[in-house]
Amino acid sequence: MTGDDSQSDTEEFRTSRRKRSRIHRLDVSSLIGRKLVTLVLVGTLVFLMLPIFMTIVASFGTTWTGVLPRGYFNLDNWLTVLGLAEGVGVRQGVISGLAFSTLLATGGMVINVIVGVPIAYALTRYDFFAKDYINTLAILPIVPGIVLAVAFLRTYPEMGGSAFGLIIGYALLKSPYMVLTVQSSFQAMNLQQIEESARSLGASWIRTFLTVIVPNAKNGIIAGCIITWTLAAAEFNFTFMVHARGPRPFSLFLFENITRSPVLQGAAAVSVYFAIVTAAILILQTAGKAGFTTVEEQ
Amino acid sequence: MSGSTASADTRNPSGVVAKAQSAAFPETEADRERRRIVIMCLPYFALAAVGAFVPLAIMARMSVSTERFENAGFTMEAWRTLLTEPVYWEVAWNTLWFAVATTVFSVVIGVAISHALAKYDLPFENTLIALISFPIALPGIVVAFMIIVLFGRTGLLTNLVAFFTGQSPIDLAMAVSVFGLFLGYSFSLIPRSTMVLRGAFAEINEDAEEAARSLGASPLLTFYYVTLPQVWPGIVAALVLTFRTALAIFGTVLVLPALNVATLRISLEIQSLGFNSQIAAAIGLIYFFFILSFTFAGVKLLDNEALKI
Repeated sequence: MTGDDSQSDTEEFRTSRRKRSRIHRLDVSSLIGRKLVTLVLVGTLVFLMLPIFMTIVASFGTTWTGVLPRGYFNLDNWLTVLGLAEGVGVRQGVISGLAFSTLLATGGMVINVIVGVPIAYALTRYDFFAKDYINTLAILPIVPGIVLAVAFLRTYPEMGGSAFGLIIGYALLKSPYMVLTVQSSFQAMNLQQIEESARSLGASWIRTFLTVIVPNAKNGIIAGCIITWTLAAAEFNFTFMVHARGPRPFSLFLFENITRSPVLQGAAAVSVYFAIVTAAILILQTAGKAGFTTVEEQ
Repeated sequence: MSGSTASADTRNPSGVVAKAQSAAFPETEADRERRRIVIMCLPYFALAAVGAFVPLAIMARMSVSTERFENAGFTMEAWRTLLTEPVYWEVAWNTLWFAVATTVFSVVIGVAISHALAKYDLPFENTLIALISFPIALPGIVVAFMIIVLFGRTGLLTNLVAFFTGQSPIDLAMAVSVFGLFLGYSFSLIPRSTMVLRGAFAEINEDAEEAARSLGASPLLTFYYVTLPQVWPGIVAALVLTFRTALAIFGTVLVLPALNVATLRISLEIQSLGFNSQIAAAIGLIYFFFILSFTFAGVKLLDNEALKI
């Protein structure tokens, strides 16, 4: 009896040792695993950031024939792409195109606030028929930009280059980003409690929504504005197919500089885009801090 | 209109009318709530109707039009061409394999990055997250330019390799090759997949991982048996959403036309091959329904918590 016990004990011990030795053989992962994963992280970071950094640096250079661009510090490329330099081949209408694009992006952003905030609220606060499907529809772009553009060409032919058609398209393509960011802001609030307090104090539901719920979700709305504005400012897929006349939107200016100009001019054009995005983020964040609230900051 | 039908219960046809009526002239609090939901969803559905539903219906009509510049007559010629011409099968195949390959690659990288961000003590972690998510804001043409900056004829890496090997940069330039395009897609997709996966990694039960480690499992075994099952829903969500994005990329492939994919083909049909509006519309329609059905099938697989852009 005791012999049997020790027999099975040894058996168990052997199998467990075999298992453990197998584990130990795989233990290279503790030697190189962490290093490998960190290497992937650093590699990806370099892959994502290096070209952005090089673009900004190169836009101030004079030539780029070797490994690195040379001839600093030079604003010629910037002036040329913006149409401010003198001489042949200077592009006209860049500034008016920029202003036009700013207008379009702002229009799309405003529509997104009007459209996105209420539906985000309804989807977070209430439970109703087909809610999951409506939610999916609202937080994922319904149609890829290029397909939407083909559909727009025939549906609204007279609006080819008009601000209206482009604004509607931008608003629709970028609305998911607004819905999503505002939704996550609503999810962090106790909506039912806030709403019931306001209602029991006598506010109508419209008043509750506009003066209590919306100001509380301010940060989400500002974040949504930033994302939808920056994405609409350079929306290319849709603009490329739909735009026919009128001032040339900014994304087409980018496309032209990227495909048909020397690489340093392309770099300057892309840098203009980076500058605009940075400015928009700063302006909207400042606007968010300055006003747009009826509650005290916590 | 769409909002009211969506919120009403269509399982009972006579109930739809009754519920629409009660939503329009509410008597109970439940009716009022229903009306509130309809009003709040209405702006979105108005925009979607003007911006998407009507144009898509017109586009369906466009695909069977006999005229190129207006909707007139009826012919299935465009659809027949799509089915019989080998070039369109090639386009479909290219679109699918390339999207699948770039999606899988980006999600694998995304898993590694989210793992590092969640588990390791990294310096400047918030800055790292901001830097990795920033490329989401870059349009496809700018992404293509980023690839040119690295791998084009004057590109940084091209010239670096040329400097050390003595070859000509023109022979080495890889921006306009399938490899360059692959990196371009990855540039757009890695940030997106990482942002989805970060949510999944944030909710891991770390006690189980620590228990596995202290019982002697190696980091790889711990990851495989403990971490991976927990983040699996997040990985599926990342695959679904990244694949959707991969299908829709157009600017990058327009600037680096190394592979004829569906988005590029739609643009070619309209702009270069002479306004083949019927064929472009037919491709667009197939494409739209493929993405829509794929999304809803993917969403069925997921819980809604995991669904983020």
